[in-house]
Amino acid sequence: MAAAAVAAMATAADDEARLLRLEEQAGHGGGGAWEYLCLARKLRARRPDPVLRLGLALLNNSSARSRLASEQWTLYEQVAVAAMDCHRLDVAKDCIGVLSKQFPGSARIGRLEALLFEAKGEWADAERAYALILENNPFDQIVHKRKIAIAKAQGDMSLAVEYLNKYLELFMADHDAWRELAEIYVSLQMYKQAAFCYEELILAQPTIPLYHLAYAEVLYTMGGLENLQTARKYYASTIKLTGGKNTRALFGVCLCSAAISQLTKGRNKEEESSELQSLAAEALLNDYKQRAPSKEVLITNMLKNMKLS
Amino acid sequence: MGAECQYELAQAAYVKLALHALKHPAAAVNGLLVGRLLDGASSPVVVAVVDAVPLSHCPHHLPLLPTHELALNLVEDHFGAQGLTVVCYYHANALRDDADLPAVAKRVGDHIFRNFPRAAVLLLNNNKLEEAVKGKNREPVIWCAWTWV
Repeated sequence: MAAAAVAAMATAADDEARLLRLEEQAGHGGGGAWEYLCLARKLRARRPDPVLRLGLALLNNSSARSRLASEQWTLYEQVAVAAMDCHRLDVAKDCIGVLSKQFPGSARIGRLEALLFEAKGEWADAERAYALILENNPFDQIVHKRKIAIAKAQGDMSLAVEYLNKYLELFMADHDAWRELAEIYVSLQMYKQAAFCYEELILAQPTIPLYHLAYAEVLYTMGGLENLQTARKYYASTIKLTGGKNTRALFGVCLCSAAISQLTKGRNKEEESSELQSLAAEALLNDYKQRAPSKEVLITNMLKNMKLS
Repeated sequence: MGAECQYELAQAAYVKLALHALKHPAAAVNGLLVGRLLDGASSPVVVAVVDAVPLSHCPHHLPLLPTHELALNLVEDHFGAQGLTVVCYYHANALRDDADLPAVAKRVGDHIFRNFPRAAVLLLNNNKLEEAVKGKNREPVIWCAWTWV
C-alpha cells in the first residue's frame, strides 16, 4: 500500500519536472508548446504567464490553429483563463467572444463570462451570472466553487466558510474542497475545525501522506501533550507512507519529541518513543549528508540542543 | 524607553523579499530578516537589516507552528556564526487590498522580540509592488506594521 503511494508521488513529481522542462524549451522557441499546454491542462497547473504567451502564439498562427481542428476551442478556453489570471482582460474578452460565437448558449461559456466579471471585480454581475447558471443546473460544482471564491476574494472568510460547508454537505467526496476549508480554518486560527477537515480526508484516503503531514502540523500548532503525541504518530505515518523521504516529517518527529520531553520533564519516558526519535534524527542527518552537506552542522547542533543525538 | 528606531534595509534583503512576493502572486508569502543592532546608544537606534530568508508561500504551511519554530532555530544558528540575528519578519498578503496584519505575523514577531527587543514586522504593500514592477513608482513597497517599543 505504501509502495503505491510512493509511486504515485514519484510520477506526480516526474510530471511536474516535465512541465517545467517543456516550459523552458517552448519559451526559448524550441517547440513543444502544444505538448506543454496539454500537460498544464492535465495537471491543472497554474502557470498563467507561459500559458498565455505560448497559447496566444499558437492561436495567432492561423496554420497552427487549423491543425488543431476541434482542439482549438479548448485552447481558447485555456488562454482565456490564463489571460484573466494575468489581468489581460482584453485578450480574455476576445477569446470568450470567439467561443460564444462557436457555442452559443453554452453553460461552459457562461461560466467563462461570469469569470470575466470576477476578474474585473464586478462581484454583483458575477454572482448574478452564476445564479442564472445554477437555475438550469443546481449541481454545477464549478459554479458553487466560484461563489466561494468570490467570498474569499472579497475577504469575507466567514461567508466563504459558510458556503464551503454547504457545498460539502452536497459534495462530501470533494477532497480539494475539504483541503480548502482546512486552509481557511487555519488562516482563521480555528485549528480544531481544521483538524476535523484533515480527519475526514485521512478517513477517505488513508494512504495519502499529504493529509497525515498537514494533520500533524495542525496538531502541533494546537499544542498540549496529547496533541503532540498524536502529531508525532502522524508524522511517523507520513514517514512510513513516503518511504522516509519526507524531510518535513522527519523534522516533525524531532520537534514533537523535543516538545514532549519538555512537557514531561521528570516523568518516566516511554521506551518506544526514544527509538523513534533517534531513528528520525539519524535519517535526517543522513539526508543532509547526502543532499546538503554544507548545512549538516546546523542540523547536528539543532539535534544536540533538542537532546536527540 | 520609547527611543525611536530606524531600520536600514540592505539592497539584497529588500530585493529578495520583493522577488519572493512577486514569484507567488496568488499566495501569501512570508520570511525572516536578519541583521544586527548598529548602535544601541544612538538616537534614533539603528538596526541594519543585512539579508532576507524567504520562508513559505504554501497556504497550508504558512500559518502553522512547526515550520516557523524550525526556521527560527536554523536561521539563528546559521547567521549567528556571522554575528547576525533575526531582527524582523516580513509578510505579504494574498489579497491585493488586504492591509491587515494576520495573527501569525504578530505571533512570529513576538518570538523574535523575545530574542531581539528591537524586532519589527514589515508588511508588503501589494499595490505599491505592482506599481514598482510597472516602473511607475519608486517608493518602498513595504511599511513597518508593528514594533514593540
